[in-house]
Parts: sequence; structure tokens; C-alpha cells
Amino acid sequence: MRRVATWLAIAVAAAGLVAFPYWSAGWESSRFATTVLRDILVFAIFALSLDLLVGFAGMPSLGHAAFFGAGAYAAGIASQRLATSELAVTLAAAAASAALLALVIGALVVRTAGIFFLMLTLAFAQIVFAIAFQWTSVTGGSNGLAGVGRPDLFGIDLSSSERIYVLVAVAFLAIALGLRAIVHSPYGRALVGVRENERRMRALGYDTTRLRLSAFVLAGTIAGIAGALSAYSLRFVSAQDVGIGTSIRGFVMVLIGGAGTLVGPVLGAAIVTYIERVLSSATPVAETVLGLVFIGFVLLARQGLVGIGRAAWAQARR
Amino acid sequence: MSPELLFEQALNGLSFGALLFILAAGLSLVFGMMDVVNLAHGAFYMLGAYVALSVVQRTGSFWLALVVAPLALGILGVILEPLLLRRLRGRHLDQVLLTIGVSLVIVDQIGAIWGREVRSLAAPAGLDGSVPLVGGEYPVYRLFVIGFGVLLAAVVSVVHQRTKVGMLIRAGVEDAEMLGALGVNTDRLFAATFAVGAALAGLAGVVAAPVFGLQPGMDGDALIYSLVVVVVGGLGTLGGAIAGSALVGPADTFGKVLFQEFALAVIFAIVALVLLFRPTGLLGRIRVAR
Repeated sequence: MRRVATWLAIAVAAAGLVAFPYWSAGWESSRFATTVLRDILVFAIFALSLDLLVGFAGMPSLGHAAFFGAGAYAAGIASQRLATSELAVTLAAAAASAALLALVIGALVVRTAGIFFLMLTLAFAQIVFAIAFQWTSVTGGSNGLAGVGRPDLFGIDLSSSERIYVLVAVAFLAIALGLRAIVHSPYGRALVGVRENERRMRALGYDTTRLRLSAFVLAGTIAGIAGALSAYSLRFVSAQDVGIGTSIRGFVMVLIGGAGTLVGPVLGAAIVTYIERVLSSATPVAETVLGLVFIGFVLLARQGLVGIGRAAWAQARR
Repeated sequence: MSPELLFEQALNGLSFGALLFILAAGLSLVFGMMDVVNLAHGAFYMLGAYVALSVVQRTGSFWLALVVAPLALGILGVILEPLLLRRLRGRHLDQVLLTIGVSLVIVDQIGAIWGREVRSLAAPAGLDGSVPLVGGEYPVYRLFVIGFGVLLAAVVSVVHQRTKVGMLIRAGVEDAEMLGALGVNTDRLFAATFAVGAALAGLAGVVAAPVFGLQPGMDGDALIYSLVVVVVGGLGTLGGAIAGSALVGPADTFGKVLFQEFALAVIFAIVALVLLFRPTGLLGRIRVAR
């Protein structure tokens, strides 16, 4: 009974989230709130995919923006060159490009671990950034890729900002539920096993390199989808989307919220996006605030907000 | 490619390599001793360049800046290590994450203090001209950079191999914990190491400023190039930093001449090849740092 009630509550909350622009339409700041919430959800997808690597599989990637950017550029370029606004086509192009890139980079980096893995992912992402920045004829270079078309899905026009929001929210829910299923599956448990003790997992007969590579490609693909959603939302792809700043932002989100959880990255995405979108209009040094908050969490609360919440909950129950 | 151009580009490659050595030596030293990849290294480099800009604006002396900026960065390093990194001793990955936060704060503060537009720093008097060289003119300052880098490499090598400080560094890189058990104050050693690493980054920032200028994003470029150098050369060894910069500097320069906008693909190819065949870098030792 309690299970049913929980799921019912989640379903109501999900419906409320998806329909936000419609029921908030009367508010004065409804449009602004919708764009902020949309950006939060796009980055929540990105942070969730990164957390699959960082938190669950124990692979601290600092180059995740490469896949976000690959998805964003692929969606944008596909919509312009193929002269189609069909979501199924452009989103597939984004996911496939990100997956392919993740396969290539992953094949080179998954054998390394820890700090070395972190450095290599960063280095490869910077190379992708350099290509995006300098290959002006395809990517627009430093000017970015402007005029990305809003998509439509099998004839349904998704170009209004409310509908784009709904698309993002539905994608977020689908990906969050999908990742929940994955991390609770035997495959997800095996990833955690690789994080905790790779040698033992290998002794148990798991092909740990393949497990790590598959996680890398899966996370890269989801990040590519987040990138495509960002391109549809903003109608623009910036070279900065591939830059180290985006990778770091994702990492900060995961850590502030709580790595190795599914709620944490979403909370982190909300906080970081809030600081950058809302606080940055109030103070010129929002990045400093972000940096200090991040340092504080690493020093004092490495388990993130979810960890603080769990500790408080355990305290309260005693 | 004509012989003249070849020669000129070879010099360009050497001067870039010399600069990379100054930059990467600090990163490599800190990693070797503390097992921490300092991701604020690029921010330290950037701060060094901007401190130099202020010193030159106030006093007009590039040479004073060449002393003051590394000193300022060294002081920052000696403050930051006990304040932040020491609290997470032994948790290497978390220490790396701390340096990300430090980098965000420093870069944002540079923007707030010095502004976010492109600035330039003139080469010092006497080095701002050109000299005739095989069929053309060549900027003296770049020759100075080559000489400075080679001199620094020589000095550092002698210190590393022949002095008591060098002995401590080599022992610390080998096994810092054991060194502590033998009675060496590793807290002080680590703080000093981090300070020297930061000072080297600052020094690289000053030396590079007349060549590359000062602008937002220079921290990321510096970080990525120094990472490439230490990955190619081998992490945590002085020889690795020298070999890596000697290889990456010319490769990048010739890559830019031959492939223009895809120069980084050349670097990418080198990194990929090294990784595939020698995962520890050309002169790296076998160690998996977690």
C-alpha cells in the first residue's frame, strides 16, 4: 500500500513538473521560471550521466563536456545540413555521434584509473574543444552555431518555448527512470563492484574493461542527448559547451549534490544553475561563490547534500 | 617548406618547448611528490602573467616582474597547501578536486581585478628587437626564452641530482611516507613543493606574456599543454618534463604550419600513440595513482 502511495506521489509530481509552464502561466515570472527550470533539467540529465561514471562506476571523468558538445553540434548541424527538423533524426544523430566519440575516447582511457583517468579525459575533451573551436566551416568556431531549428516530432510542432520545455522535462524523467533501473540492475551493481574492487570483480569473471567502457559509452550517449536538448532549447551551440568549464560545472553539480546517488546530481544541477543564472545578475563574482561553495563541500561534506540529508535523517531517527 | 622557414619554425618550436618546460616542471614536481595533479596550475600561470603586468605598469621593469610574480605565487602556494590540501592528505582525488575550486576562484578574481579583455606585455628593452638570422629577422625575445628554459632545466637538473634539497625531492617522489618515517618534516616539504610548483607556473606566466599576451582562457590552454607534456614525457619525473616539452613544443609548432587549424590533432596523435604503447609516458615509472 505504501509503495503504491509513493509511486502515486511521484507520478503526480512528475505530471506537475512536465506541465509546469501551463499551470504557472498566470505567474508574472512564468516565462523566466520556465527557462531556468528547463536549463536545470538539461544539466540535470548531463550531471546524472556524469554521476553514472563518477559516482557509480568510480571513473572521475573531467572531459564529459566533449559528449555534451558532440550531441549539441550533431543535433544543430544535422538540422541545418539535412534541412530537417524531425526530432527523431536530429536526436538520433546527436546520440550516435556522442556514442561514437565516447567509444573512441573510452577505448583509449578506460584502462587507466583515478587521477590518470581524470587527466586523460580532460586532455581528450580539450582536443575535441580545439577542433570545435577551430573548424569554423562546420561548427562556426568561436562564433558558435547559430540558428539551430526547433524540432518537431512526427508532425507535432515543438517550437514554442512551452513545448520545448515539455520535451526536456519528459526526456529528463525518462532518463532518470532509465538510470534508476540501470543502477539497480545486475549491470549497475557490477559497475559499483568495479568501483569498489576491480581486482576482485575480475577474479569473479567479470570483464571489467568492457564494463567500464560500456559505462563510458552509455554516459557519453546520455550526455549527448543533454547536449542536443540544450541546442534545441537555446537554438545555439557555443564552443564553450565543449569546453573545460562545462565539464567542471557537471563535476561540481555531482559533488555538491552527492555522487553515487540519483537525487544528488539533480539537486546539484539546480543549485549551480541557480547560482549562475540568478545570482550572477546580482553579483559579478558568481564563479567565485561557486568555487568557494565547491571547496567547502569537498573539504567538509564530500558526500554532498544527499550525504548531509542522510546524516541528519539518521540523527533524527535515533 | 624552404630551409629558411624550416629553421625559423624550428626555433619557434624550441622556444615554445622551453616555455612548456618551465610550465610543466612545476606540475610534474607537485605530482611526483604529492600525487596531486594540480588543476589550478593554469590559473597560477595566468595569475603570474597578470601580476607581472601590474608590476611592469607600476615600475616599468620586466626583470622585477620576473622575480616578484613567482615570489607572489610561491607565497600563495605556501598558504594554500596547509589551508586546503593538507586537510585531505592521502585522499588524492579529493585534493585534485580542491584545486578545481581554487582555479575557479582565482580565474574569476583575475577577471574582477584586471578585467576580462585581452592585454599585452612588451618584451623588456634590449630583447624587444629582432636579429638577422638565415634569410630573415628573428625576435630576440624568443631566443631569450630558449636560453632561459635551457638554463632553468640545467639549474634544476643540478639541484635535483647534486644537492641535499634534490635528494629530499627524489626521496619524496620515491616514497614520501617512508621519508616522513625517517624524520623528515613532510608537512613542510609538501608546502614547499607546492609553493615551488606555483612559483614555476607564475614564472612561466611572466616569460610567456610578451609572446602570447594575456586573455581569459589562457589558464585552460596552459593547463592542457602542461598536462599533454607530462602525459607524454612521464608524470613526476624531471627527465619526463624535459623530454615531453622538447617533443611537444616543436610538434605543436610544425603541426600548426603543416595542418593549420588541425594542429591539435597532431598533439592528439602523439598522446594517443604514447598512451597505446607506453601508458606511463616516455620516461615515466610504473605507478598507478589512485
